[in-house]
Amino acid sequence: MAESDVSIRKLVKRFGDMVAVDGIDLEVPRGAFVTFLGPSGCGKTTTLRMIGGFEHPDSGEIYLKGEPMGRRPPHKRDTSMVFQNYALFPHMSVADNIGFGLRERKMAKDEIRRRVSDMLKLIELEDRGKRKPRQLSGGQQQRVALARSLVIEPTVLLLDEPLGALDLKLRKQMQIELKRIQQQVGITFIYVTHDQEEALTMSDRIVVMNQGRVEQEGSAEEIFDRPKTRFVAGFMGSQNIIDVQVADRDASSTKLRLGSNTVTLPVAVAPGVSAGAIAVRPEKVRLDVAEGWQGTVQERIYKGVMMSYSIRLDDGTEIDAEVAHDDVRHRHEVGDTVRVSFRPEDAVFIPDGA
Amino acid sequence: MATETLAAPVDASPRRSFSLTPILTLGIPTLVVVLFVVLPLILIGIYSFYSLDPVTGLMQRDFTWANYERVLTSPIYRNIFIRTLSIAAIATVIALLLAYPVGYFIGAVAKPQNQGVLMLLVLIPFWTSYIIRTYAWIGILQSNGFLDSVFGWVPGLDTNLLYSRAAVIIGFVHVYLPIMILPIYASARNLDKRYIEAAQDLGASPFSTFLRVTLPLTMPGIVAGIVLFFIPTFGSFVTPQLLGGTGDVMMGNIIDNQFGEAFNWPFGAALSVIMTLVVIVAMTLFFRFADVEEIYGS
Repeated sequence: MAESDVSIRKLVKRFGDMVAVDGIDLEVPRGAFVTFLGPSGCGKTTTLRMIGGFEHPDSGEIYLKGEPMGRRPPHKRDTSMVFQNYALFPHMSVADNIGFGLRERKMAKDEIRRRVSDMLKLIELEDRGKRKPRQLSGGQQQRVALARSLVIEPTVLLLDEPLGALDLKLRKQMQIELKRIQQQVGITFIYVTHDQEEALTMSDRIVVMNQGRVEQEGSAEEIFDRPKTRFVAGFMGSQNIIDVQVADRDASSTKLRLGSNTVTLPVAVAPGVSAGAIAVRPEKVRLDVAEGWQGTVQERIYKGVMMSYSIRLDDGTEIDAEVAHDDVRHRHEVGDTVRVSFRPEDAVFIPDGA
Repeated sequence: MATETLAAPVDASPRRSFSLTPILTLGIPTLVVVLFVVLPLILIGIYSFYSLDPVTGLMQRDFTWANYERVLTSPIYRNIFIRTLSIAAIATVIALLLAYPVGYFIGAVAKPQNQGVLMLLVLIPFWTSYIIRTYAWIGILQSNGFLDSVFGWVPGLDTNLLYSRAAVIIGFVHVYLPIMILPIYASARNLDKRYIEAAQDLGASPFSTFLRVTLPLTMPGIVAGIVLFFIPTFGSFVTPQLLGGTGDVMMGNIIDNQFGEAFNWPFGAALSVIMTLVVIVAMTLFFRFADVEEIYGS
């Protein structure tokens, strides 16, 4: 494993009776773009705030470059946070906001001016240095907040849902912009979001969190294609999580049973596992093959490019399918009997207990 | 027909279109302001140009600048004016040093559910009359009073403060402190904590955070507090009369005296007009200097 900028060991944080962070272990490699992904209340922001020093853990430890942080306050940590609503100082100009951290470091005035202007160039706001934050658009304020944190060259940049307040189009632009800046400056980014698409677009590594724990950690592709828990599968957009029994197994494949239907997946399953779930994304479900599980169309929703069907199998299991609806031959009406199938390699088996 | 029916509730008849509501809602405040603020001011303004009949001592309805001339040329009034300004300024500074920590603590540090009770405690003194609270200080500050009998034995400590400049300033600070705490509390409560977190995050020590972020962002409360404290202090006559010595006479006392014992209303009116103008000019400059708009303007 690459050298770690941040190591988290058995981190626990409670607020009253609520356990916000429930034993997290994590390594953040140097220079990586790591995303904490999860629903609200999963502990991702609390973990981020503990790394920044705004909250202190009840137990466990956070190491920055190998050094334990303990209860060290934010101004003595080599981290910097981009806040959700930017928290730009309203009484200072854009340039003064960006230069704030440098002045705290008692840097020479000329040097501050030079670095601030470099930063304004990086965020493409060269001509806005004298403006007040409120005179900028949301996206521009966002970039100023980023510059203000980057200019002090922290070991780790912490970003707390920084794009949450922007509209969809701007958010997409900023995702690419953020990734570009991160690659340019080479600083470790820890990014918190509840938006799985945002996480997939930007991250080198994604840490999916739920109820104060890490559900799964891996590259975007690993998380998306090979979810290890039902939660991750569901959160990454696999609406179809189908309970199945293990019927038969050999070294390289497993036969799974759902009622009277079976499917064989090209995966090996540990000997003790007798049940689990198949996760398959709706867009991978096919209705155009004669083979497959028999079911009835319950509902059909037009979604533009895709047509979404909800199909009930004979044993009562509901499966969602999204197919390109331009193919008129395969248009189905509510009440039609259809055959549901998917390619074994498009499905993921999640053993129970995971 | 349909349009008429729809329009009916608005102007059904000429009689109904006449409504008392706007006249009452605008009229009553206007009447109050005119009666109790504008008219007295105009009256004072008019009086200030009157003269006194040297024989009868009664007001003469003429037009003279003599009263203003007397105020502006006499070194006595200039000295008293400067003294008034300095007493009010010192009291304001001391009050600010006390009010800021209290207001900030209640607004930004105390738990929200406790803020109401704490502010109530701050405001409780207001339930007692200004005069009574000022009299209470006589009991504390006079010779053989509370302060004297408890700390009188300490060598080099003057515990007999009554009829001194210090007593006047103590009186002002005590009486008007709550109205200075109020706006500071309000601005501290509205202070977004993320600004403080952001400052710390960027490497600012607690002291530096206070100077560069907290203080400027609570400036509107400080400005309002200073104004609310300074104006009544500047014009006060009760406190210096009860707690001050002969050397602590303020403009308020002079004006009080002109309207009272001296019975020279025109001269008292001229003093009042000058005081009012000074306050207006000072506050205008102060607001411009403090630049509150700059912080919260659109």
